Amino acid sequence: MKEKSLFPVGYMFVVTAVFSSVLIGLNAFTRDKVEANQQIAFERAVLEVFDLAHGGPQKIHQTFVERILTPTPDNPNQTYLLKEGDTTAGIALPFEGQGFWAPIRGILGFKPDGKTITGIAFYEQSETPGLGAEIIKSYFRDQFKGKIVTETDQPLRLRSVGSNLDNNEVHAITGATQTCTRLERILNDAITEWKSDSTGKGGTP
Amino acid sequence: MSPQGGTPTTRKIVLDGLWHNNPIFRQILGICSTLAVTNLVLNTVVMCTSLTLVTALSCLTVSLLRHWTPRNIRMMVQTLIIAFYVIIVDLILKAYWPQMSRNLGPFVGLIITNCIVMGRCEAFAGSNKPIPSLIDGFFNGLGYSFILLGIALSRELLGMGTVLGFKIPWFTEHWDKWVIMVMPPGAFFTLAVMIWICRSIKPKEQKA
Repeated sequence: MKEKSLFPVGYMFVVTAVFSSVLIGLNAFTRDKVEANQQIAFERAVLEVFDLAHGGPQKIHQTFVERILTPTPDNPNQTYLLKEGDTTAGIALPFEGQGFWAPIRGILGFKPDGKTITGIAFYEQSETPGLGAEIIKSYFRDQFKGKIVTETDQPLRLRSVGSNLDNNEVHAITGATQTCTRLERILNDAITEWKSDSTGKGGTP
Repeated sequence: MSPQGGTPTTRKIVLDGLWHNNPIFRQILGICSTLAVTNLVLNTVVMCTSLTLVTALSCLTVSLLRHWTPRNIRMMVQTLIIAFYVIIVDLILKAYWPQMSRNLGPFVGLIITNCIVMGRCEAFAGSNKPIPSLIDGFFNGLGYSFILLGIALSRELLGMGTVLGFKIPWFTEHWDKWVIMVMPPGAFFTLAVMIWICRSIKPKEQKA
């Protein structure tokens, strides 16, 4: 009687132990790979805004190490700088915020003047495929190239499709109002915060 | 303990899983993922492959352990086995296909709660031999897959004018894209139409 009532407990314990150990093993086996994937996705996004993301993961990582200056105590704005010899050829501003379903994380690239956009890239987003997720498509992202952010509280604007655009405006995506409104806020928050950090230091030399 | 002779023939298992007892349009199981991942064909293909593998292997494992598993904790053991395979699929996607892992988001993990898997483990694998259980799980997965692919094909085509990301000539130029097809309600309508079509075909099949 006693034996019978303890058997299910012991059985469950053994089965759980066996399956869990296999998973722990597999997790340890793939952990490096998973972390490397995330790192590469980030590095690719940084390079993409400068049109430098060519080749496979190895090449991406190599270019990133060679060309990009990561944030240091000397560079308190948390931006990534593109090196061209000794001079700075570009500024990559990471941004993140809540999208429609989950966080949107990406990079906004600027020319050294800190105003002209060179590109935008996303390395994490879970927006609705076909609607919000269109933000990662090139037809949407290419619009940002050459736009100039203003010094107002709304440096960048997303306008509805069909409207005439100013120099700091791009077309939003039809059917993805939530994603676009949130993205606009995320971008503007990131730009405003960066500008306020760098006043007195950044801007045109 | 093991009732012999109760195992149906392979032919019956296959036909039941694919058609006569199809998990989607007969049993109406696993609808949540049907609605969530069917707006792009590629996502659907990966989801279906994962589900088919998980169902088949879970059924096999449940069946292998059926003589030792105490009846009162069998559901716990089944959930554990299903979760085990789902986590394996999830880890493999994360490590070797990060983009797809991101596209599918939480839905890979949610296979654990997919009623089809547990339904087959409980209804079939718990009382049948390993090989028939494996076949049963596999063909139920396929039954789920072909309905989902049908839904995904119509949603992506009507909603975006593409299939697997490739532009389809007539649909890109002359078709006014139905945005609703890409959104969740589109899945409800398409699923309903799909169930309607499949259930209307059935009587003819029986006559033949």
